[in-house]
Amino acid sequence: MINFQYLRTTSAKSALALLQKDKNSKFIAGGTNLIDLMKRGVTAPEKLIDINHVPLKQIELIGTKIHIGALATNSAVADHALIKEKLPLLSWALQAGASAQLRNVATVGGNMMQRTRCGYFYDTEMPCNKREAGSGCGALEGFNRMHAIFGTSDKCIAVHPSDMCVALVALDAEVVLLGPKGERKILFKDFHRLAGDTPQLDNNLKPDEMIVRVEIPLNNLAKHSYYLKVRDRASYAFALVSVAAGLELEDNKILSAHLAMGGVAHKPWRLTKAEEFLKGKEATEENFAQAAKLSMENAKGFGENNFKLKLAPNTIIEALNLAKRKA
Amino acid sequence: MENRILKDENDRVDGFLKVTGGAKYFAEYELPGLTYGVLVTSTITKGKITSLDTKAAEKAPGVIAVLSHLNKPSAPAYEQEGGSQMKIFYTDKIFYNGQPIAIVVANTFERATYAASLVKTSYAKEDFNTNLDKAIKDPKAKKLQGQPDYKRGVENAYKTAEIKIEQQYILPIETHNPMELHGIIADWRPANKVTVYAKTQGVKATQGTIANVFKIPIENIQVNSEFVGGGFGMGLKTWPLEIATVMASKHVGKPVKLVITRMQMFTMVGNRPTAIQKVGLGATKDGKLTGITHTAFGESATYENFTEGVVNMAKFMYQCDNVNTSYTIVPVDLGVPIWMRGPGEATGAFALESAIDEMAHELDMDPLDFRIKNDPEMDQQKNKPFSSKNIKEAYKLGAAKIGWSERKNKPGSLVEGPWQTGYGVSVGVFNANRGKASVKGTLKADGTLLLQSATSDIGPGTGTGMGLIASKLLNIPTNKITFELGDSSLPPAPSQGGSATLSTIGSAVNDVCLALKSTIAELAANSNMDATSNFVDVLKKNKLPSVEITKESQSGKERDNYSMYSFSIHFVQVKVHKLTGVVKVSKIVSVGDSGKIVSPKTARSQMVGGAVGGIGMALTEEAILDHRYGRYINNNFADYHVPVNADVPEIDVIFIDKPDFLVNPMGAKGMGEIALIGFSAAVANAVFNATGKRIRTLPITPDKILA
Amino acid sequence: MHSSDNKKNSGDSRRDFLKKSSLITAVALTPSVAMKAAESQADEKFAELFEKIPLNITVNNKAYKASIEPRVTLLDYLREELHLTGTKKGCDHGQCGACTVHVDGARINSCLSLAVMNEGKKITTIEGLAKGEELHPMQQAFIKHDGFQCGYCTSGQIMSAVACVREGHTNSRAEISEYMSGNICRCGAYPNIVDAIVEVKEGGMNV
Repeated sequence: MINFQYLRTTSAKSALALLQKDKNSKFIAGGTNLIDLMKRGVTAPEKLIDINHVPLKQIELIGTKIHIGALATNSAVADHALIKEKLPLLSWALQAGASAQLRNVATVGGNMMQRTRCGYFYDTEMPCNKREAGSGCGALEGFNRMHAIFGTSDKCIAVHPSDMCVALVALDAEVVLLGPKGERKILFKDFHRLAGDTPQLDNNLKPDEMIVRVEIPLNNLAKHSYYLKVRDRASYAFALVSVAAGLELEDNKILSAHLAMGGVAHKPWRLTKAEEFLKGKEATEENFAQAAKLSMENAKGFGENNFKLKLAPNTIIEALNLAKRKA
Repeated sequence: MENRILKDENDRVDGFLKVTGGAKYFAEYELPGLTYGVLVTSTITKGKITSLDTKAAEKAPGVIAVLSHLNKPSAPAYEQEGGSQMKIFYTDKIFYNGQPIAIVVANTFERATYAASLVKTSYAKEDFNTNLDKAIKDPKAKKLQGQPDYKRGVENAYKTAEIKIEQQYILPIETHNPMELHGIIADWRPANKVTVYAKTQGVKATQGTIANVFKIPIENIQVNSEFVGGGFGMGLKTWPLEIATVMASKHVGKPVKLVITRMQMFTMVGNRPTAIQKVGLGATKDGKLTGITHTAFGESATYENFTEGVVNMAKFMYQCDNVNTSYTIVPVDLGVPIWMRGPGEATGAFALESAIDEMAHELDMDPLDFRIKNDPEMDQQKNKPFSSKNIKEAYKLGAAKIGWSERKNKPGSLVEGPWQTGYGVSVGVFNANRGKASVKGTLKADGTLLLQSATSDIGPGTGTGMGLIASKLLNIPTNKITFELGDSSLPPAPSQGGSATLSTIGSAVNDVCLALKSTIAELAANSNMDATSNFVDVLKKNKLPSVEITKESQSGKERDNYSMYSFSIHFVQVKVHKLTGVVKVSKIVSVGDSGKIVSPKTARSQMVGGAVGGIGMALTEEAILDHRYGRYINNNFADYHVPVNADVPEIDVIFIDKPDFLVNPMGAKGMGEIALIGFSAAVANAVFNATGKRIRTLPITPDKILA
Repeated sequence: MHSSDNKKNSGDSRRDFLKKSSLITAVALTPSVAMKAAESQADEKFAELFEKIPLNITVNNKAYKASIEPRVTLLDYLREELHLTGTKKGCDHGQCGACTVHVDGARINSCLSLAVMNEGKKITTIEGLAKGEELHPMQQAFIKHDGFQCGYCTSGQIMSAVACVREGHTNSRAEISEYMSGNICRCGAYPNIVDAIVEVKEGGMNV
């Protein structure tokens, strides 16, 4: 690791100003992904701007939305009474990610910005278009058991590794970004990108912007939601497939369904067709199976990850079963 | 090791140091002028280094030296012909991806790490193969006999049996990955005096290797290794990276510390190699085995051969007149493997014990009944009686504890919602080894006993066990006994491996304690004291501050007349999720039939640890190579899945606890290996019982269940 | 294929430029041995002036002042500078938990935290847990339940276990296991570790 310069700042404005001064600088918050990547030589910023002292740690209800500051830690959010009561799905998704130690420093903004866990991305001796444009994709015909089945491109089949982001997409979150010209707000489902021809870009954050907060509308899903993460060991592992499921039920009728999947695409994958199908239907395993089937249109395996074509719909069904039962 | 504030005589003697951070592992010694080494490793799999540009690295801040084949210091043994080809820095040849090719030494760890990234290497690449399966199928690929073929009775008798099965079983590369990173501190002083702080399972072995490579007198070399943060076999060898660090210290004239990275732990310090095995079993309709054929292929390296006991168990574990085995090693372009806990026997037991279960199913027999029916009265391979074997009792105890009667012979019978429940059993067996060792015992007038031997402790609790042996013989409380180890200047002892430490060193402790006892008795008699007088009084009366005796101990003729093994039976209950393919081990009962248990608390922990290792082997662990590049894809703790706390249920351990005095004077047999051997088969058998799916390729991950 | 090569070099050239323009020119004509020594001294001066930054940190109730490179992790600072080697390096990538310490009371992986990010913070390591010879209840429970074998993950396990109890994530064995899953134990002492935590929790001791 080069001996980078290190600066501290206490305001979002000065942080942005510092960022713009030096092209090869990066923000550091929790650092749990960035320092890892720097140690592996995947990224080598010359300047780190420590934004941990910028006051963006709020978790509060404002009107009909819950606002969560970009620097709130994953554990602060997961354990917050407001989140547990109103948005348990988010709390569970956070608890399913990483470890207690990592969640204590990893932030909401950092979680959104984390890079893929693809082994080819991490090994600087391997081809990876995401790390080095034009070098090829090692996973396409290589070890792709962990990789995407939706929205892939011939440049990159990596998946976004976050659990939190899957829940945020399911919960209709918005994200607020601060740039030189002030704030802009976008739907969180549009924050991350598909790989397309530019796999080096994970998301739509502009180089001169920072994430300041997410806003999540209140909902009626708290009674019937579940985050189901299928992985190779019981904890502290990235998802093979995960599903965030929330149901608004009246008797056994689905008033609305919220569904998103992780471990299957370059971004958290919202299951819009399944949501539309389930709306107004009875909450039965048959309908869940039909919704799962609809979710799998255009799915494509690359060899070692073909099992996800079966695991993904099964996980959708089981997540819906568990969400229905939860109360 | 200090032995403080023990509340219970069975507590670990080094517990206080380990829970306070006071236990010092190799990397934690402060030496004046300490420098830091970082390795540069090859990025190709096979070929030659054509250029190595170290200019930028040498110029980088804090850098003291960069050492490679271009400026190798003298290592006389490497200048001779023969031996392993892996003579570090004495060749420009690349044998595997990730091979150390240079070491950068700087005044801080960060500076050395950065400078290492500045070394630029060019290569002439050659074709390579890192895939065992491909090598087996390639008629031109080299294959070597790993062990003489074995035949008893009719070869391949299973083929003509009334009932037969024939299946192939595959294990991937598994890595030891102890929690402590490998490395060494080397301090080469003038007049060729070398002190090292090592991560080794054998201080005498490390001492000998360094003496041999550099051709310096063995007494010039001091090896210290008091605490070792896990070994599992990795520390049974002095690795090239250790020699590289000794060379670096010689070159810079300062102590050099090298701690390798977790990524490097996958490439340069061995592994449990990939194995592809076939087992054929034949039986009569009423369930008597009539033929066992076990053939195995195991990975080895191109520059050094590696063999292990993959097919041993088939030769004696079951009553069967017709048995044949073969074991072939196949060199591939990877770093050489090293025995990993349970070693080849654990690899072999997965295949054999899965096949036994398959045969029981074929026969529609309870697999436990099938095993009992084919339990041998004597060792048919050696044609000798077993020194002790209480397998049938172990079967009974374990079955009762796990609730075996709940098990249904028809797979998939126990279903609750999406979860299917199954039960599995398997046997493990390993040689009850005993070697030769010396122990020095010093009884002091202050009422304490000091025991010293150049053995090691990678975690099983060597000092605790030795203290308990001595405590009972001399009637001294364990907190008055100190056992010193991990120091090459102490009386010689073999490396800690093969489940032999308690048997080997314990016997020498036994002998030395008995000798001390008779010396005290003699002194008492000479000074007209009662023969049963306390040794403190006797020493004081004789105005002696202490008495010391050194004893060498090894086994006698009993070994020629008996077959000596430790046995284990593993019972597991699993729950398998129908939709997601997730397998949870929900109950474990491991029964140890390993003679008298000397140290109950640490013995239990060994069995528990073996079961946890077994869960990893069965369900989660696989080091994955991209054979196009010869590089590992998941070479880190996030992607190579060692079991975590949430993977492990409560574990019941039962010991038969019957002494076997033919093995050694304590009547105790080793346990480190049997704790693991067979466990993975018990899980696979339970998964079959739960689902009807027979998974013959480890690990049993959700994708395989769903396939 | 080093995507970061250019970045590495640009960092170097900045240093080279500054060095040439200031300190080295004075010794450029002296013999090479002297020059090498002078260069290395100059290197240290240069580092002190331009590359290190001040750090004020409290570790186990003791205040430390240091001047360190920003790239030094909290873990390496504790082990290599303060010689508090109870905190272990198991993976250096936040994947094993051996380096767990408390920062202002919260458990974190010290390998993924730069020391300089902990300016003004209070760190507790395993060495700061016992009160002299009197062990913390969790340390005692680990000995009693044999919550370790080789001992290398133990410091991290204990620091994590203490935090786990304080956080209140100890309502069942399953919850304890889940919240202790960030600490890998290769010797496999997990059930014993859970036993130790259950005892401390049920004992209602002040942790």
